[in-house]
Amino acid sequence: MLRDSRQVLALLACAGILNAIIAQLNHALAPLALTISSPGLLIAFAALRLPAKTGLAVVLCSGLWLDATAPTPFGRQAALLGLAFGLLHNIARRLPREDALVGVVSALFTNLALFVLLAVMDLGVLPDSGAGALRLLADLIVSQVFTTLAGPWFLALQNGLLSFAGTPPHKGPRPV
Amino acid sequence: MPRFDQARPLLTLGIVLLVWLILPTTIKRATRLGFYELQAPVDVAASYARDLQDFWSQKTRTKNELIEAARDLARLNASYELRLQDDARLRNEIARLEELLRLPSYGDFRAEPARVVRRDFSAWWQRLVIRKGANHGLTIGAPAIYSGGLVGRVSEVHAHTAVIELISSPGLRLAAVFDGDDRPVSFQGGVNAPLRPAEAVLEYVPLDVFATPASPRRLVTSGLGGVYPPGLFVGEVLTLEASTDGLFKTGRAVLDPRLGRLSEVTVLVPLDPAP
Repeated sequence: MLRDSRQVLALLACAGILNAIIAQLNHALAPLALTISSPGLLIAFAALRLPAKTGLAVVLCSGLWLDATAPTPFGRQAALLGLAFGLLHNIARRLPREDALVGVVSALFTNLALFVLLAVMDLGVLPDSGAGALRLLADLIVSQVFTTLAGPWFLALQNGLLSFAGTPPHKGPRPV
Repeated sequence: MPRFDQARPLLTLGIVLLVWLILPTTIKRATRLGFYELQAPVDVAASYARDLQDFWSQKTRTKNELIEAARDLARLNASYELRLQDDARLRNEIARLEELLRLPSYGDFRAEPARVVRRDFSAWWQRLVIRKGANHGLTIGAPAIYSGGLVGRVSEVHAHTAVIELISSPGLRLAAVFDGDDRPVSFQGGVNAPLRPAEAVLEYVPLDVFATPASPRRLVTSGLGGVYPPGLFVGEVLTLEASTDGLFKTGRAVLDPRLGRLSEVTVLVPLDPAP
């Protein structure tokens, strides 16, 4: 129980750092009308390396963190991240989970899936869907470039912080 | 058993979502507030760090540059002094006419300048987080302006920060008028293509109004509804075309690109807020 809590807190600290960096990047990119978002990075490590309960707690709290600053119904992003976590966690046993490349590729695919889902759900509310779709495509490209560049560092940060907290993730088959 | 283990995360998520759905709204609101206030110091600290960075970069300026800047400021101050005198004269004139014609007076505002903590622009929303909130008496719905015109309105007020929804946000609609015309048109932000200034959609434009790239028309706030003071610059209209029903025209307004680079805004806090 104590081990789980330490893991959750360590990964939430990492999520906080990532969100703060992305917020500052978006602040700087605002004049160019581009936005970075990388929910996949918040999910990948938890889904690939942690037990279901701990990973889900991390992902839901990270989702609520994102929800708190967004003008969307509170809990929506948390639910979407939770769903993506569930699906990734299920297929994780068939993947070489400890490989950083697998983590980054999982984050990229999760980003893509969430972008498409949000576009399908919300594109109709924009007054000009064409411009909205173009913006989403540009945002997706920038976000995927960021995820590719920052992914290995972020996965290493999570791994390092868990080791620092004295609760490194299990090697070999993951405990359920 | 392995099959159950595989479904366990989704099952747990389902239970959590079910509990979330039946949770009272008050608890959800308190949770949201808690998460927001937890991360607000991070943003505010980053904005203070940026200010410090600016301060140190200003310290590298030479004395000659500072003397030139002080001279320019003195000139500006002199011109503003003249404008203030003119402003006082015009205010007295408006008050006299209002009394004479028994007109309802426009609401009065207190100007509250605030630094921008964070720009949060996406395809779905365009918001600014500012470094003043309930601690400075900001209220939801208060308009925010900058040297170029209208910025938007305050949509959330927190303990030490507030959120401003920009006029480029799809969720913001207002009644605007063309400069020199008193017929209101509908203005809605939300056309935010990448690498281009934001645009807004105009509807219900009278048929006898024309705008072309060669002779664009200025769009300003109408003052209707009492939220925004009249005459604030909103955008520039370059094209208008007949709507499908033929009764009105529709068009696009190009917004000022400076909206995406704002580092300070002024919130107009109503002195006599509506009950």
